[in-house]
Formats: sequence, C-alpha cells, structure tokens
Amino acid sequence: MRLSYVATGALMTVRELMRNRLVLIMLFLIPSIFYTLVALTTSDRPIAFKLASVSEDTFVSVSQKSESLIFIGVAAVGFLTSFVAMNLIRRDVEVNRRLVICGYRPSELIVSKLTVLMGVILVVALFVSLSLLLFFRPDRFALTAVGLILAGWVYGAYGLLVGAIFRRELEAILFIVLLANIDAGWLQNPIYYADAQNTEIIRALPAYFPSQISMVAAFSDHSVTVPIAASVGYGLGLLFLALIVHRWRMPRVRHHGHLGDHNG
Amino acid sequence: MNESTLLSITDVAKAFRGTPVLKGVDLELRSGEMLAVVGENGSGKSTLLKIAVGLLEPDAGAFSIRGTMGYCPQESLLFDTLTVRENFQFFGKAYGVTDWRERSDRLLERFQFAQYADYLISEVSGGTRQKLNLCIAVMHEPDVLILDEPYSGFDWETYVHFWEFTKELLEGGRALLVVSHLIYDREQFHAVHELIDGVLRCD
Repeated sequence: MRLSYVATGALMTVRELMRNRLVLIMLFLIPSIFYTLVALTTSDRPIAFKLASVSEDTFVSVSQKSESLIFIGVAAVGFLTSFVAMNLIRRDVEVNRRLVICGYRPSELIVSKLTVLMGVILVVALFVSLSLLLFFRPDRFALTAVGLILAGWVYGAYGLLVGAIFRRELEAILFIVLLANIDAGWLQNPIYYADAQNTEIIRALPAYFPSQISMVAAFSDHSVTVPIAASVGYGLGLLFLALIVHRWRMPRVRHHGHLGDHNG
Repeated sequence: MNESTLLSITDVAKAFRGTPVLKGVDLELRSGEMLAVVGENGSGKSTLLKIAVGLLEPDAGAFSIRGTMGYCPQESLLFDTLTVRENFQFFGKAYGVTDWRERSDRLLERFQFAQYADYLISEVSGGTRQKLNLCIAVMHEPDVLILDEPYSGFDWETYVHFWEFTKELLEGGRALLVVSHLIYDREQFHAVHELIDGVLRCD
C-alpha cells in the first residue's frame, strides 16, 4: 500500500464530493428536516421503555420528544452514510478500472474512498449530535455522539457492500432503503421493541448496537462498552465482505511496469 | 523475443464457456512499427485487446511486452467532476510520473486544448474529451501504445494531430497497435491483420 497514492485518491474523491452540491445540501438538510418533524409532532409526555442491551428489566422513563430525537438521529445518520458509501463505491467504476490498468492498486483506491467516507461519517454524526443540543442535553453527550458515529460506521459499511454487489443503482438504492427503513427507521425504536416478539431478529440488525449506545448513553449511566465493541465488529464484518466483493469486481491486471511476461 | 520486439503474442488461445474465441493467435510488434487488427463484431478483437492490455489471462499461449504500455480505450474513460488538469494529475499518479504538470502542459499545447485545462470534464465537448483520453494514454511516454477504435469521436483537427503524433512516436522507436472494426489510411500501417473467427490473417 503506497500512502501517497491513497492521499491522491482521497484528495480527488473529496474534490468530486465537494462539487456535488446537492449531496452536500442533503447531508445537512435531511437531519434538519427529520428533527424539525420530530420537534413539531412529539410531546414532552413521559414514556417508559426497555434498554434492551442492558437487561430485559431495565426501564427508563423520558420525554417522548427526547426518545424520538435520539431514535431519528440514528436513522438519519444511517440513511445518509449508507447512501454516500454506496455512491462512493459505485461512482466512476469504469474509470477506476482504467486507473488500475494504469498502475493504481485496487486496495489503494478503496482505502482512499474509505478515508473520505470516514470523514463524511464524522461530519454528519457530529452535525446530528450537535443539533440534538437545540432540544435537550443527553446525560452523556460524548457517548451519545459515539453511538451516532458508529451508526454511520455500520451503515456506511453496509452501503459499501450493497454498492459493491449490485451493478445497477436502482437495486442498490432499494436494498438500502429497505433495510434502513425497517431497521433504523422502525424496529430499533425502543417503544416498538418493548412489545416485540422474536427480538433476536431485531438484535441481529445493523442499527441495533449503535442505537443502544445512543439510547443508553443519553438516558442512563449504564455501560456501553459491549455495544461499542459489537458495533465496531459488525461494521468490520460488513466492510470485510464489501472489500472482498469489490476486489473480485476489479480487474486483475498484469502490470507491465517494465517487462511483462506471461505464459498461458 | 528479439531485441526490437516490444510486444509478442504467441499461439494465444481463449475460450468462453467452451466456445473458442481466439484460436492460436500470433502477433509481433517491433520498435517503430504500427500494426492494425481489424475484425467484425464477435471476431475476438476485444478479447485479444483485453489480453494485450493485461485484463484477461489467455487459456494457452505466451504473451510478453517489453517496456511500458499505454492504453487508449474506445470510450473516453475520465472523471466527469474533475477538471482536465486534475484528470492528468490522477492518472499521472497512477503511472508514477512526478512531473505530471510539465507533461500535461506539453500535451495540452500539442493537442491545442490548453484553454480547457481548468474546465470540468462534464463541461467540455466530446472532441476535447477524446483528446484528453488519448493524452492520458501517452502521458507516461509508453513504449507500446494500444488504441481501441481510436477514430470514433475524433474531429478532423484531432484526427490530423493524431497522425502527426503517431509519426513522432514511431520515429522515437515506440510501437503502436490499433484495434478497430474499420481501418482508414491503410498506407500508414506497416501491416493490417484481420481477425476472422478467432484466427489472425495478414492482409
């Protein structure tokens, strides 16, 4: 791995991203719209729900608005980062193949895109975290923000995997919308979870651990070490699969550096 | 492979799902030589091109190249949201050339599109894209240049520049392989080979 190649790849990817003004606007507009809708439609009535990752008997009682803001924050970060990741890995696939023929290694290209994705995850998660403070202050703000960052990490890796698998954009978008909607946008809401059955299915979904980190950190002083480790591992697993598929799709080029020779 | 041979394809065969596409193709390209490979759609020229570029492994036969290779694809494969200059920078990095700016300046002047250096690819004409597509294939001054359907998309001015430029490359001891379904200006080539049903015949 040649670091200067990764740096050039990341620089070019950032330039491309910065020139896509619509994407930049959406990154900030979508969380703002989500939060505005929550603020306008939820009340401060207290609700009790289970902190699933702590124990089946640990309930907290908080305002409906606060709970909804955390829940929707995780969903917003998950949606956005998975879309950005899918776009990053799918964009200019043929031109990237030409770069590989010219001498870039596929690993250098994917690491440069990953570097940019990490930056996007941090920016989006921090924007969503700071926006929370307009409405209420979580008990442990930093750890709540970590939950949102890890939501971006897990869903970003999922977006990379979907983008690497599907050749056409429509299928990729549908897979992202489908899972993000069911998982981050519905099943991980603790109010739903409280009365759900077959909860092991909900626990196996990508947004489970990140939303537990944010919920537990925002409304209690219980440990979040296990869900943090599980989120990191979950994201790494998805990323590993994405890298395998991406490498498989990239050309295996016999580089003609100075003298190429092949016997079939 | 003798001293002047830059590209050698010997008895190369390739089949897809049991259907033979190339059946023992031989081709030798020497320094200062320009060859053409023509063929109808489905004749196997894309497969031969992919083997020559290094994208595909042959099932049998030997392939060797001496020196560096440049590849100019049929479609201009460029980054639409980067500028002309930034495309030079990115591909220059891929080739490992540190003086990409000086090289791109020379090519921008040579092909007369320096005024578009800071334009995004999405903002320039098809002709300018095609010029850049070719310039990127040659910016590292390869010993062997492989061109896939180079005529499609060239305007007249680029076409004239293209032939002048190829003469300079050949005089400099480089070698060119043009793969196309149609060949114009046959007299410019040292030989034109026709690929028919996976077998290469010299015209």
